[in-house]
Amino acid sequence: MTGTLTWVFAVLFVLVVIAWYLTYTAARLDRLHVRLVGTVAALDAQLVRRAEASIELANSGLVDGATALILAGAAAQSLEAPDEDGVIREAIESDLTEALALAFSPELVEHLREAAGPLGQDYLDGLSSACLRVQLARRFHNDAVTDVRRVRRQLAVRVFHLAGHTPMPVTVEFDDAVPPGLDQ
Amino acid sequence: MRIGIVCPYSFDVPGGVQFHVRDLAEYFVGDGHHVSVLAPADSETLLPDYVVSAGRATPVRYNGSVARLNFGPVTASKVSRWLDHGEFDVLHLHEPVTPSVSFLALTAANGPIVATFHTSMIRSRTLQTAYPIARPSLEKIAGRIAVSEDARRTVTTHLGGDAVVIPNGVYVDRFARAPKRPEWVGTPERPTVAFLGRMSEPRKGLPVLAAALPEVLRQLPGLRVLVAGPGDVEHVTAGMPPGVAAACEFLGPVSDEDKAALLASADVYVAPNTGGESFGIILIEAMSAGSCVLASDLAAFSRVLDGGRAGQLFRNTDRDDLARTLLDLVRDPVRRAVLAEAGRQRARQFDWSVVAARIRAVYETVIEGQSLALAQPTTRWSRFLRGGLGR
Repeated sequence: MTGTLTWVFAVLFVLVVIAWYLTYTAARLDRLHVRLVGTVAALDAQLVRRAEASIELANSGLVDGATALILAGAAAQSLEAPDEDGVIREAIESDLTEALALAFSPELVEHLREAAGPLGQDYLDGLSSACLRVQLARRFHNDAVTDVRRVRRQLAVRVFHLAGHTPMPVTVEFDDAVPPGLDQ
Repeated sequence: MRIGIVCPYSFDVPGGVQFHVRDLAEYFVGDGHHVSVLAPADSETLLPDYVVSAGRATPVRYNGSVARLNFGPVTASKVSRWLDHGEFDVLHLHEPVTPSVSFLALTAANGPIVATFHTSMIRSRTLQTAYPIARPSLEKIAGRIAVSEDARRTVTTHLGGDAVVIPNGVYVDRFARAPKRPEWVGTPERPTVAFLGRMSEPRKGLPVLAAALPEVLRQLPGLRVLVAGPGDVEHVTAGMPPGVAAACEFLGPVSDEDKAALLASADVYVAPNTGGESFGIILIEAMSAGSCVLASDLAAFSRVLDGGRAGQLFRNTDRDDLARTLLDLVRDPVRRAVLAEAGRQRARQFDWSVVAARIRAVYETVIEGQSLALAQPTTRWSRFLRGGLGR
């Protein structure tokens, strides 16, 4: 009789431990998913800001017509990019980075600093800060993705479907280099 | 912005991380932010008013060196109270993987967390064991900063993912304003060369400089070598080639003002360090003061000197190369002036105004991410899980 009772308690104990572990892991995963939702939203917001800053500069009349066209074109693409398709968005953002690198030649930076006065400097500061923040947001997002993927590879997470229906996140890859002319 | 900064190492003793935290906090205070720094400190130690003491620190052997840290249940509750009272918009932890207030704050905190990693040790058994244990807590960090490429590689190796490199800062103007001292300024017959650092520590490179000096003194007998830093003079000179000790003037440990004046006055500042440097803040201080820098070609030094454009590099531990480059520089005032000017320009990139602006960009990115995440709709299940985590 006591033997059976011991067994019952032992099994109960093991079940409690398993339940605790699963809840703990689920909570850990949930926290990571919250972080991920935040980094996605932050990256999106920074990309929009960068595109808007580019369009503003293109419309300012401080840059020559051809450069303005290149910038405005690439930035408009970025603002219209569909959120759903990651691959297309990545390509479009790389294009905007390239357009910015092309536009911000040392001559243009010089011109904005010297000829356009404080307004030119404002545009330069705004864009260089936007580019830096895109870099940060993408780095932090990819860090979150790496952390989520590591936890989701665990056996318990896969067997008990602790991640629910949340799709497996993938890192965001595009060229986010700050244009050489804007790097302090 | 309300910023909470946690420093794991005691404010009783000087150290790189402590100086970094102090300078950063002072910068943000000057910028009009509310800053509170939590750090271990003795009750007798005089603390700036933005520092909250986490209690007395105990010397602990951790990861190959003795650090003054504190931990335990009493400290843990102190950390929680500090967090509750602070109501910080962002929490900035330094060296989170140490048995210290930094790690305690990481486990206790919710909300936007930024962490700066200072250590650069890729093969360390301590870190290999510590990182997996700390991993669930480390996952709370939304923004990781490394102070150097080497520190970043440590994060990548042990933690996975990546970190943003934001270098240490220097208050460039404090060094740029330093006046020259006539007794340390060189003349064509008696040029001066400065060395700074612990004399008895071989990796600071004094032995390499001593080995190169006989050749330099043969061609330039008037050369004066100004050696500043703690250490036993007799012990150090005993190992030097004859004639070298006579050319050296030992200044002992110097104050910050003397250090800046020395760097501003000497013709050439030599940094013959042979390894173990992950950053090289002293090179930036020297460049800020307007010295012409001659340094060994360690990866960290080469990066700071922009591959040799902002200062001269010589082959690490190669005394003949050091002697040759040193002679060239001492004999060529035009080149010295060119390098010093390039160094002055370069040092601007490491000024706290630039460095702190980048750190602020990290804060803002992380805060924005958190607030956007909280704006998302929640389910009962997710609320249950988050409730299980504390708040």
